[in-house]
Amino acid sequence: MGILRFIIRRLIFMVALVIGVSILIFFMINAIGNPIDILLAERPGVTPEVIEIVKKYYRLDRSLTEQYISWLGNVARLDFGTSIIFNQPVKDLLVTWGWETMKLQVTAILISLGIAIFIGVTAATRQYSKIDFGVMSAALLGRSLPGFFLGILLILIFSYWLGIFPSYGAYSTRNMLLGSPLLDSLWHMVLPVSMLAYFNTATLTLLIRSNMVDVLRQDFIMAARASGLKSRHVVYRHALKNAFIPALTYLAILFGLMLGTAPVTETIFTWPGLGYLYITAIQQLDFPVIMGTNLVITLMLVTANLLTDIAYVFIDPRIRLE
Amino acid sequence: MEHRQIGTKADEEGKGSFPTPTEIDSRKHGMWSLGWQRFKRNRTGMVGLALVAVVVFFALFGPFFAPYHPNDQSAMLEFRSKAPPSLKNLFGTDRMGFDVATRVIYGAPTALVVGVGSMAIASIIGIIMGGFSGYIGGMADELLMRFTEFFLVIPIFIVILIIVRIFGIVVVGTALENIPYLNLSTIIIILGVFSWPPIARMARAEFLRLKEMEFVEAARCIGVGRPGIIFRHILPNAMPSLIVLIALGIGGAILMEAMISFLGFGDPKAISWGQLLYFNYEFLKIAPWASIAPGLAIFITVLGFNLLADGLTDAFNPRLKE
Repeated sequence: MGILRFIIRRLIFMVALVIGVSILIFFMINAIGNPIDILLAERPGVTPEVIEIVKKYYRLDRSLTEQYISWLGNVARLDFGTSIIFNQPVKDLLVTWGWETMKLQVTAILISLGIAIFIGVTAATRQYSKIDFGVMSAALLGRSLPGFFLGILLILIFSYWLGIFPSYGAYSTRNMLLGSPLLDSLWHMVLPVSMLAYFNTATLTLLIRSNMVDVLRQDFIMAARASGLKSRHVVYRHALKNAFIPALTYLAILFGLMLGTAPVTETIFTWPGLGYLYITAIQQLDFPVIMGTNLVITLMLVTANLLTDIAYVFIDPRIRLE
Repeated sequence: MEHRQIGTKADEEGKGSFPTPTEIDSRKHGMWSLGWQRFKRNRTGMVGLALVAVVVFFALFGPFFAPYHPNDQSAMLEFRSKAPPSLKNLFGTDRMGFDVATRVIYGAPTALVVGVGSMAIASIIGIIMGGFSGYIGGMADELLMRFTEFFLVIPIFIVILIIVRIFGIVVVGTALENIPYLNLSTIIIILGVFSWPPIARMARAEFLRLKEMEFVEAARCIGVGRPGIIFRHILPNAMPSLIVLIALGIGGAILMEAMISFLGFGDPKAISWGQLLYFNYEFLKIAPWASIAPGLAIFITVLGFNLLADGLTDAFNPRLKE
């Protein structure tokens, strides 16, 4: 099977999955109750006429299937509807808030990947040494340290006690750092990114180390060493390429975990991202935003999976395409 | 592999010149006792077991050690709310005058009930689904694998949040409202329903491997029925791998509940660590102890279960590790 057919098949599965999740959320919201009734349960004193008008406006007087299909049709035309609480097109919200989330998460993934490769390889080449033991223990501890607890500690230490980094937000409204918006934004990113990167680094380091230990023991490494290549060249070029493949799959899982727990990260740091938007939408029962955010998060997740699958094929030609 | 005894009383009454199988004490060489012997030598696993034991101890006997009643706010009357740790209040008091140490101790049973309860649900669903699809195979197997793939890719945490939130609104005014700890039960059930796919996958893999084994064939030959083979012969041998996943899952479920409660979607009537963080996070700067203590409790519990799972992997699947 050619690579193109493989990608097309994955794409179809991906679209099915995204639609599946949106159906799940849509019918779950509606199975539990009519969105408007739920919305109004917490807002007493609304007259029936107003309810009728609102229902008509949001097309809630039609059947569920019709509603879903019209929502899907609109989404295909990039129209996610209008937010009830922000009174803005959901699309604009998703773009601006989504950008903030991606900023944090992509930076965190890249940083943790760099650190994990360096530490993991160093530990693997010195297996059972003190460095190795220290790295392993730190990583094991790190994997169990709940991200949000770490976030709280970071804020407490670096923001409240030392006063170095800001504890909330993505930008300063006044007094930007050195008057530069870019520096100011980076300055705000330090704490949330360290929190995200810490967990990823711990997991990836463990993975890369154990794969490296396996690969370094294989014959072709011995052959490479015997042929007189420099040790650093053997380790980073020959061994790492092979040890990296399982880590690559894990990258998509980590990305999914980060996106999935973005509500927690962004609540701790009051970060204006998708997760924070989602929490606000859930609290205020802003259904268009809930549906839109869910769709975007699922889409990002599935895209990450697809990209890993494709990268996988390019890195390791032995993998069968099916 | 577990070697079941073939010997019967009739053998024992025979000549006795042969060492009959009954003379080998199977209890000392069974899968579980061998596993325990390996586990005892594993430092990581024992540390994990000790941490879990501490949490279980406080969950069971906590009320005898807790210095105050969980609803005691008398510190408020003495103007000692947000008081720093002292002999009177080991971890200080929080903003409502509660003794932090007492509240943290009373959070232990909640955490364990959430972890064990949701994983019990997840294991039952997972083992039945995975077991049958692994044993029977064919179309059912294919369907189940696609289904679990779907569950593995969707952002579970985000879906759980919306269900918990909407369910909390819908029950208002219905008979369900009077069920004690309704919100907590909902969280437990939903966590269980969403975390079975990894268990199902592992159960399927184990059943696929074990169903071709000779002892299963032997059981089939002597006419054991399908449920008998699945539950009495294959399942006990699949348990070690599953238990590792279950231990990991308990830690994961506790963390999930903590995150849900931290975002403010927890059960207001139950004392849980995430809830304590939620209530005290706003006062992080003034009363950091009230946030650090429950955070540490979550960390210790999750770390305990993770280390326990690590030790169990080493003990039962020694081939997997170096």
